[in-house]
Amino acid sequence: MVSIFTRLYPTISSLLPPLNEKNLPWIDVIHPIVVHFVIAMALGAVVFDFVGIIFKKPNLFEVSFLNLIVATIAIFIAIVFGQIEAGLSNPYGVSRDVLNYHSTIGWSLAGVLSVISGWRYVSRQTNPQVLSKGFVFVDIVLAILVCTQVYLGDMLVWIYGLHTVPVVEAVREGIL
Amino acid sequence: MINFYNFAIIIRENIYSLFSIVIKSPINDISENLGPNDLPYKIPIHPNLVHLTIGLFAIGIAFDIAGAFYPFEKRIFRFLAFPVTRVGFHDVGWYNVLAASFITFFTVATGFFEMLLAVPIPEVKSILGQNAISTMLWHAVGGVAILLVMIAMTIWRGYQRFVFRKDYGRQVSWAYIFLGSFILVLMGLHGSLGAWLASDFGVHITADQLLVRGEDLNQIFQ
Repeated sequence: MVSIFTRLYPTISSLLPPLNEKNLPWIDVIHPIVVHFVIAMALGAVVFDFVGIIFKKPNLFEVSFLNLIVATIAIFIAIVFGQIEAGLSNPYGVSRDVLNYHSTIGWSLAGVLSVISGWRYVSRQTNPQVLSKGFVFVDIVLAILVCTQVYLGDMLVWIYGLHTVPVVEAVREGIL
Repeated sequence: MINFYNFAIIIRENIYSLFSIVIKSPINDISENLGPNDLPYKIPIHPNLVHLTIGLFAIGIAFDIAGAFYPFEKRIFRFLAFPVTRVGFHDVGWYNVLAASFITFFTVATGFFEMLLAVPIPEVKSILGQNAISTMLWHAVGGVAILLVMIAMTIWRGYQRFVFRKDYGRQVSWAYIFLGSFILVLMGLHGSLGAWLASDFGVHITADQLLVRGEDLNQIFQ
């Protein structure tokens, strides 16, 4: 199996698109665009739940639920692009550890969001106007997880500059 | 003989050099409070609020589109045993756009704060051939314009929900949907300008700023 792959490697790599000055096969990073919809929808769902409870507006629970569904779909797309772009990001030094944590929490969050959406679907079947008290706790955990994940992703971009032109240049010159 | 032309050039150059000394960036006055990323904190705030602005607005418009085409979708949702209502879709459309408008004031405010402190890498051109300052100015003016458009859209959306189309199943007019979709395209372009400020011009990215200054990242990020 391995020998087949090594023999085919030149053919496979010639079929792959060339990488640009950000070490990407496309113009800009796609993962940070897709995560707009995970972050905004997950945090939005949490906020709408709380607003719905405080101001007694049960139709906001439906808004939360539909936002959670979008977040759950989007996180899998985010993971696909995240894995591709992480594989091309050439992490260096401490950023390797940060990327590992970001990947681990990212995959876990896909599971967590799926379970939460599924649970929400089931509890909504009986009465969409009522939100069980337990969900407040779940919302808090979800918000903390998402914020942690955003912070780790932010570190990769804003501190370590992965997929930015100067860092990619430095990696290609062998400085990093 | 005095060559008046050369004399004028010398005077002009002196004036220029005088100005380049006099007009220095006001950032220098607070430079000791700023980190290597030219900010008083490690992670810029604007790009994080942008997630909320774009995500909420885009999905808000998307759900209103879903609500508008509901008669075509309801069989599919029934087939999938996924009980949803048209009112539910339009609720998401309204509340998401409302939340996006609220948060975008903070997105724009932090954007301006961080743009005032931006130190882009010199002599870089974006994919559109723009230099750093024109990208920054377009992103700034465009950002305020988009805020204005978003607020107008939210007010229009509110009027449709509570006044104009109160008794209709489809809560939004086709004009709102077309305009909303067009704004999403504009937002994509606008967001790309912002993305290039980071990825190409290295604004507020610690690693990029340190590399441009010729410092050794391997030592700093040990």
